[in-house]
Amino acid sequence: MSKAARETWGDPTTAAFWEAAREHRLVLQRCADCGHWQFYPRPFCLECGSSALSWKEASGRGRVYSSSETHMAPSPDIETPYVVAVVELDEGPKLMTNIVNGRCRIGDRVRVRWREREEGPPIPDFEPDPEG
Amino acid sequence: MARGIRDSVAILGMGCSKFGERWHDGPEDLLVEAFRECLEDAGIGRDRIDAAWLATAIEEVSVGKSGIPLAEALRLPYIPVTRVENFCASGTESFRGAVYAVASGAADIALAAGVEKLKDTGYGGLPQRSRGALNDMVWANFSAPGSFAQLAAAYRTKHSVLPEDLKRAMAQVSVKSHANGAKNPKAHLRNEISIDKAVNAPMVADPLGLFDCCGVSDGAACAIVCRPEIARELGRENPITVKALQVSVSNGSEAGHNSWDGSHFVTARIASRRAYEEAGVRDPRAEVDMVEAHDCFSITELVTMEDLGLSREGEGWRDVLDGVYDAEGDTPCQIDGGLKCFGHPIGASGLRMLYEVYLQLEGRAGERQLDTPRLGLTHNLGGAPHRNVCSVAIVGREGG
Ligand SMILES: [Zn+2]
Repeated sequence: MSKAARETWGDPTTAAFWEAAREHRLVLQRCADCGHWQFYPRPFCLECGSSALSWKEASGRGRVYSSSETHMAPSPDIETPYVVAVVELDEGPKLMTNIVNGRCRIGDRVRVRWREREEGPPIPDFEPDPEG
Repeated sequence: MARGIRDSVAILGMGCSKFGERWHDGPEDLLVEAFRECLEDAGIGRDRIDAAWLATAIEEVSVGKSGIPLAEALRLPYIPVTRVENFCASGTESFRGAVYAVASGAADIALAAGVEKLKDTGYGGLPQRSRGALNDMVWANFSAPGSFAQLAAAYRTKHSVLPEDLKRAMAQVSVKSHANGAKNPKAHLRNEISIDKAVNAPMVADPLGLFDCCGVSDGAACAIVCRPEIARELGRENPITVKALQVSVSNGSEAGHNSWDGSHFVTARIASRRAYEEAGVRDPRAEVDMVEAHDCFSITELVTMEDLGLSREGEGWRDVLDGVYDAEGDTPCQIDGGLKCFGHPIGASGLRMLYEVYLQLEGRAGERQLDTPRLGLTHNLGGAPHRNVCSVAIVGREGG
């Protein structure tokens, strides 16, 4: 295990996300007062302003909301082409991610797939969901 | 809403350097080139400038931090000089500093300048910004074109536009800007292109191809603003004044994709509505004669025409294909070539847009002069669709 993978990653608002990511669990914040789900993590609920937020494991399933295949990367160490997409999770929030292991159209079902990396905890990519 | 600054501040002079690959010039050279033109146009000595603002976004490779580089380059008379940075909307932020100083009465005459030596970064696009634990989560290796490409995907899905129709409309955005840029001696890119060439160009981030993306340029631009009385004393019978200047900044809602559908700019809608109110514009499509929009990508310009209320939602792509925003259209957009062809030296861009509106209102735009425009709008955007700074300025004749 690399040094970075053992250290606490992130700040008080994001650390729990990365802790769960190490166990390949995708967690979202849920408001105890109004039930709102949100991503990315914040210290308060976007819907009602409450700070009574807890971490809940998401199903890791959703659908492609928008996507674009990138042919010119912002940095030469990123292999092209790759797909940048916004995925709408079944719990509601949308997140910006990469689609891997196959092609997807807008509306297609996808599921989370964790990408291990040297410099920190794994990052959630998404792949076509064979179970639909 | 606040009372606003309509007609409180006049533009006394403007200047703009040639944009392009200026390998042999430093940022100081570019600033001096723009300032000379500006000062001569204003008809005053530099000792009359009470305060100045400098916009530059990527200071590591440009002019450095603080206001000192501007004071040194222009030998300003020991006045307050402030450096501002607000992503690609920095140029308008510099203008806002100068305009607000005059509107408040703190300064009689103020200078707004912006510069970027972007080619020196060595990047084809903009350099990557710093990352962190939060950015790792939301960044997904998206490039600038990659994040704006999402707009195209969301827009065509929401409005049921066929991919080939949207691609063609996006191409027309750039074909039009290339036709305009070809007539502008200060523009970076001065070649006309065909729709087919744009449609068939190499892909950068699907559906954005090479000609859907603006380039990377060096350049500087500046403005001298003052109280309208001073402009009249200096011989401007009916000076050009600022009608509105508004900025809207994303607050995280779009980045969370909670209530935002990804097909438009939340900030542009808010900033333009506030600007219309400040300027007293009721029907933008009828009243705004020309637009300089932040066409970093063709899809940005297309969607922005709707966000500014110039096209109806979902119909911008048809208006583009119908030529509404061409040089001969109802509301010419990027008559100077825009970011696409005039160029995009970040700190200078907002001021470059104002420079073109100013020249057009003055009737001094040469070969690309429009038929007596009275009211012009600039739209200067920094950041990505989901997280950005959006400035809207409206400029016209005093009392007009
Ligand atoms: Zn809540």
